[in-house]
Amino acid sequence: MVESLVYGFTLGAILYLFSIGLSLTFGTMKIINFAHGMAYTLGVYFFITFLRVFPGMFSISVFLAVLCMIPVAYITERFVIRRLYGESLDYAIIATYAVLLIGTDFIKFVWGNVPQQVRDPVGLSISIFDFIIPVYRLVIVAVAVILFAGINILLRTTITGKIVIAALEDDEGVRCLGVNVSKHFSIVFIFGTLLAVLGGILYAPISAADPYMWLSILLIAFAVVILGGMGNLNGTFVSAFVLGIIMAITGRFWSQAADTIVFVVMAIVLIFKRRVA
Amino acid sequence: MDILRALGCRTSPKKALPVYKEICALAVFFLLLTPIFHMYRITDFMIFCIFVMSFDLLYGYLGLLSFGHVLYLGAGVYISVLFSIYINSNPLLSLLAGTLGGGIIAAILGLIVVKLDGASFALVNLAFSQIGYFLVSSTFQKLTHGTDGISSRVEAWGFLNVSNEYITFPFILISMLLVFYFLRKLTSSPFGVLIRSIKENETRVTFLGYNTFLYKWITFLVAGTIASFAGGIYTLYVQYVSPTVLNPLDNIDPILAVLIGGAGNLYGAIAGGLLFMMMKDWLSSHFAVWQWVLGVVLLIISFWFRRGFTGFVMVIRNYQRKRTVTYDQDGAQG
Repeated sequence: MVESLVYGFTLGAILYLFSIGLSLTFGTMKIINFAHGMAYTLGVYFFITFLRVFPGMFSISVFLAVLCMIPVAYITERFVIRRLYGESLDYAIIATYAVLLIGTDFIKFVWGNVPQQVRDPVGLSISIFDFIIPVYRLVIVAVAVILFAGINILLRTTITGKIVIAALEDDEGVRCLGVNVSKHFSIVFIFGTLLAVLGGILYAPISAADPYMWLSILLIAFAVVILGGMGNLNGTFVSAFVLGIIMAITGRFWSQAADTIVFVVMAIVLIFKRRVA
Repeated sequence: MDILRALGCRTSPKKALPVYKEICALAVFFLLLTPIFHMYRITDFMIFCIFVMSFDLLYGYLGLLSFGHVLYLGAGVYISVLFSIYINSNPLLSLLAGTLGGGIIAAILGLIVVKLDGASFALVNLAFSQIGYFLVSSTFQKLTHGTDGISSRVEAWGFLNVSNEYITFPFILISMLLVFYFLRKLTSSPFGVLIRSIKENETRVTFLGYNTFLYKWITFLVAGTIASFAGGIYTLYVQYVSPTVLNPLDNIDPILAVLIGGAGNLYGAIAGGLLFMMMKDWLSSHFAVWQWVLGVVLLIISFWFRRGFTGFVMVIRNYQRKRTVTYDQDGAQG
């Protein structure tokens, strides 16, 4: 049971890192960003490539992969998302899905269809009360919690963060004050994408990398964002960990149902929730 | 205005074609396609066109973008296959069972999803489509044989011999025309005007005293039922089903088809369905990795051609009219 709980926290941490970007993009720009899944997958493949070039150097590869994703995120934002600001939501969904399709085929073309494994970089396990827990999973949870604190501090102290918090409340109002929001929104978009990339890379040693790895996490992250409230950052944090733990506990008893239980929970919550943001 | 009339310009809106003429024209059009493609390809196209028309009712007319419409197609397929195996092998009864079963699922899920708007609506439907895929591929594995799929046991009944191509083709053509007729009548009725008003501005329709939830639910139900009908027909025609019909990644197909053809127009749905299937056929037979082409087409449409093929036709037609100085206020809805 303790292993399940720790696994649940790990999943929750990954879900949080992935969902925060989605939640920010929706909250500020009112765009559902399917291209997030593309960035997640592409980042993992970059990471695997760097790990082959620098064998054994996990942290350098992570750093380089995240660095490589900055131009990708910028291009997506500049040439697709920015064209769709303030437009109908449908076209934003469709256009970002198009980016996802193109990105997935690019990955298939370059790296092939075969799933790729990544070795656990820490490799140690600690035992607490006879339960064996890999240290790496605890590292992931620690990273997520540190980043959660860091994001909150950044949002409160930097000017971009303050504009984002204001825009989450009322983006029309921020525009009316004469703030050039598009620059700050691109920073937030790139930041969110990089967090998702980091989440994907941290998750890669636990799962495996394949061109369609975005599908399940994207669906679950949408559930996280819907349950946490779109644009509600603390809500996203809580719902990511709650859903992660629910998934892990379900997976212990019925492994195939782990992904689906999330949607069942979401449906039940939606039935009883009167207003959904 | 009198001067214009004297010059011979039409000032009154052009009379629309009667519906029966449109249906005859469509029938002739699909029959003319048979020498170009194989008959079984066109049957595929027609089933997909029924599916796309049902999606167009939801997206083009009501304005709700669903990312999970494949669920109702798959529900229709699975229910009619299971009906034919365990209850009755009559093809019409299994078609009816699939349609009604999918309709019931749409009615129940509609109660949950219809109160959501924009983004949540799209995503919750996607989640339900994922649940459906999971149910048939893993939970009900004993019933559906999981990813191996099952064959239906539909038998010939009267003239309706489902393994004869020359019987199924006209049967499916007539089904498609019936769906077209029904949707044509529905969308030009007061109900159709109302759902288009909901698309334009739901708050105002609420203020006018209409229960928009009810109308959205009914539209969702009708769209789901017609999608299940397409699924039931697919069962008669293919007689084999595997969970790939419910693949959540296929949810983009009807969206792309409707956008290619032009949303909010039944001709657009049919043209889009045909163009999409032709494109998919051609691409998948010539290239191993071809989905990115769909991505590029989607990007081009969502940036520059939001009104799709029919919108394009309308623009050309209006341009020609302007050159002949007619003042036609012909309803160019697209």
